[in-house]
Amino acid sequence: MNLRWTLPLVVSVFGLPALTMAQSVDEPVVSEIERVPLHTVVPEYPKEARRDRIEGEVEVCFNVDRKGRPSRIGVRRSTHRVFEKAAIRAVRASRYIPLKRSEPVPSIKTCRTFSFSLEKGAPNG
Amino acid sequence: MTALAADCLPGYTESVMRKLAVHLVLAFVILASTPVGADDESSRVVIGPSNPNLFDGAAALIAGDPETGVRLTHLGLSMATNRRERLVGLSNLCAGYLLLEQLDVALDFCNQALEINDRHWRSYSNRALIYLKLKRYEEAEQDLERGLTIAPDSAKLKTVRAQLLDEIDPVSPRITIDERRGEPDQ
Repeated sequence: MNLRWTLPLVVSVFGLPALTMAQSVDEPVVSEIERVPLHTVVPEYPKEARRDRIEGEVEVCFNVDRKGRPSRIGVRRSTHRVFEKAAIRAVRASRYIPLKRSEPVPSIKTCRTFSFSLEKGAPNG
Repeated sequence: MTALAADCLPGYTESVMRKLAVHLVLAFVILASTPVGADDESSRVVIGPSNPNLFDGAAALIAGDPETGVRLTHLGLSMATNRRERLVGLSNLCAGYLLLEQLDVALDFCNQALEINDRHWRSYSNRALIYLKLKRYEEAEQDLERGLTIAPDSAKLKTVRAQLLDEIDPVSPRITIDERRGEPDQ
């Protein structure tokens, strides 16, 4: 068989279902139990960043264990390393509502994006 | 094996001791010919601080005792024997009077220090702080720029710059959190 004709044929046959599958990944997974935040800790603005007027964003992803504690915490994306430690510390100190014994622990990671910005004007108080 | 090691040990120790003695003498010669706190203008051989009053004055200022710091630094400055000691004395007096909130006196000492060395970033930092307290913001900014050109990584200069910015262009930190569920764990 001539390869020049085979390759587009394979793509046209298998390409469409593959595209449909990729779209379905973004849909919520109904079987997973939603973890409800119990206590969300807001990080402190890092002093060095505040001093040098640096703004930025950090995305931290983690699992939540049965007792509601974040585990396997990792930085997925950050615009400046100066914010990473504060974001990780805040996630580590946060808590979710614990699961019942009968409920399975979801394997889906939760991600939090922390946006650090400096707004014009003196701080209140 | 044990006997051999025991036989070799005295000879080995002797040679090591001889080398150690030579190194010690060399180290002493190098140490003795390096004046502490003196520059090219002084050819004295000093071990330890060359101007104890200046040294103790600086320690008192660092410890947060500006009265003692200023008194000892004045004594040290009166006994300064070279340009570097005078520079250190004047700069520390600037810092001391700044701590005592005697801004005009502090400014005068900073100016004198910068006349001796116009690349002394600590004096620029102190003078910028004085200008900031006197609300002479443009002069403060100029001194910070000069200082940061000389010492771009100085935390002290950056802190003073932050104080200046907070004064002329205040900002308040804001942190927002957006939470979403990610992909299944691998």
